[in-house]
Amino acid sequence: MNRHPHTTDPTGFDFMANRGREEQDRDTVGIILAVGVMAFLTLCQYCGLY
Amino acid sequence: MEQLITTDHAGSAAAGTQKDTPMSNMPAAVPYEMRRKSIWSCLYSLQEVLPGLLAMFFIAIFSNNLAGVPNPFTLENLFAYLDNVIGPVNGQGFFQIMNANFVWNALLAGLIIGNVFGVPESWKRGLSYIHKLMPLGIIMLGPHFVLSHGLKAGFGPMLIAVVMLLVTAGLALKGAKLFKVDDRQASIVAGGLATGDPHVCAILMPMIKAKGGQVVNATACVILFGLLASFLLPLLGKLTGLSDQAFGLASALSIGNGAQAASSGFAYGYEAGRYARYYDAVRHAIMPAGFLYVFLVMFWRKLKYKNDPTVMATRGVDTIPPYVIVFVLGWGLACLHLFKEPAHHAIFDMVKWDFSLAAAALGLSLPLKEILSWGWRGFALTSAVGLVRIALVLGTLFACVKFGWLGL
Repeated sequence: MNRHPHTTDPTGFDFMANRGREEQDRDTVGIILAVGVMAFLTLCQYCGLY
Repeated sequence: MEQLITTDHAGSAAAGTQKDTPMSNMPAAVPYEMRRKSIWSCLYSLQEVLPGLLAMFFIAIFSNNLAGVPNPFTLENLFAYLDNVIGPVNGQGFFQIMNANFVWNALLAGLIIGNVFGVPESWKRGLSYIHKLMPLGIIMLGPHFVLSHGLKAGFGPMLIAVVMLLVTAGLALKGAKLFKVDDRQASIVAGGLATGDPHVCAILMPMIKAKGGQVVNATACVILFGLLASFLLPLLGKLTGLSDQAFGLASALSIGNGAQAASSGFAYGYEAGRYARYYDAVRHAIMPAGFLYVFLVMFWRKLKYKNDPTVMATRGVDTIPPYVIVFVLGWGLACLHLFKEPAHHAIFDMVKWDFSLAAAALGLSLPLKEILSWGWRGFALTSAVGLVRIALVLGTLFACVKFGWLGL
């Protein structure tokens, strides 16, 4: 097996690989952050902060 | 297999000096499942991710004018300057016609840095944040698409736009076999061409499980075809004798990309150019329907032919990703005008940040040969489907003008 020089580090970690439990966790973190940012910005406006 | 815990990923080997290295003699990373304590484990430690995050950050802020960063030395400003030096093409900036924007500026910068200097080993953990940024950005795009904005141009144009979108995407997906294009690349072409927005190519990447090289190749195909179509369409329009209003709608629906459609319109006439801008809202409002349609068709196809090894699109996607469902909910709330101005703009500023960072990581991940290896078949597919769409749009609008439908 050869490693991709742009994406894989010497331990075999490929930053473009995304699967399994790690993918689920990344998606969940993305969703939490997205909902948080959108809710925060929307609430700021509804509260008249900008 | 012996697992070694390695915390030091520091390395400075550049791609110029890196070769495909055999991994058999190297210490293996601890599998994620073993180091996982909670969902937050995917953030890794700050020491591991900081170099990569800083690389993405600096590429992003030197590529685009991002909210909160008063940096004038950006690729965006350089392109704006060059636009002024070159002068307008049909009233549009040349780099606007070439689709220079917050995604592709950062992608281009990442590509140049990755291919010239390489990607240091210490960046790679941090660059994996692209997989958190993509769902984050896709969800935050929800408030950007408001159906009522498109409906202001009328129900008729909206109906034609929806039909053309579905037909174009369907033809591109069907044509993949004929042109021997990988189904993942065909999906990206279908999304980009049908919606007329090369951003959709990037949005579909995690949903389709397409490779980075396929996404960039497909995007280049959509942009290049749009450029050629923006010169071809006015010539065909003169033959059909469409009114300025009808031709403006034809530009928005057959080319897509806002600046390319406007360039086509202004090449036809001043009023046609203004109508192309006006009808762009129609195409824009239904854009999510385009990439959701492509994803759902390919997902259903994968379920139907799950034992067929040639079916690669959405392979590895077992259910509809939760972020797609959250995006649809956000889009629905946007259509109900929950996100008022300026919150909508503030959220879109965050989208620009998000996709700039993600595009930097994507650019760094791609050797040029990986983009070129997908060849010209994608462009042949894009051109064939694009030309069929132009014929359908012009035919439909010619009939509308002739019979006095839609007030065209």
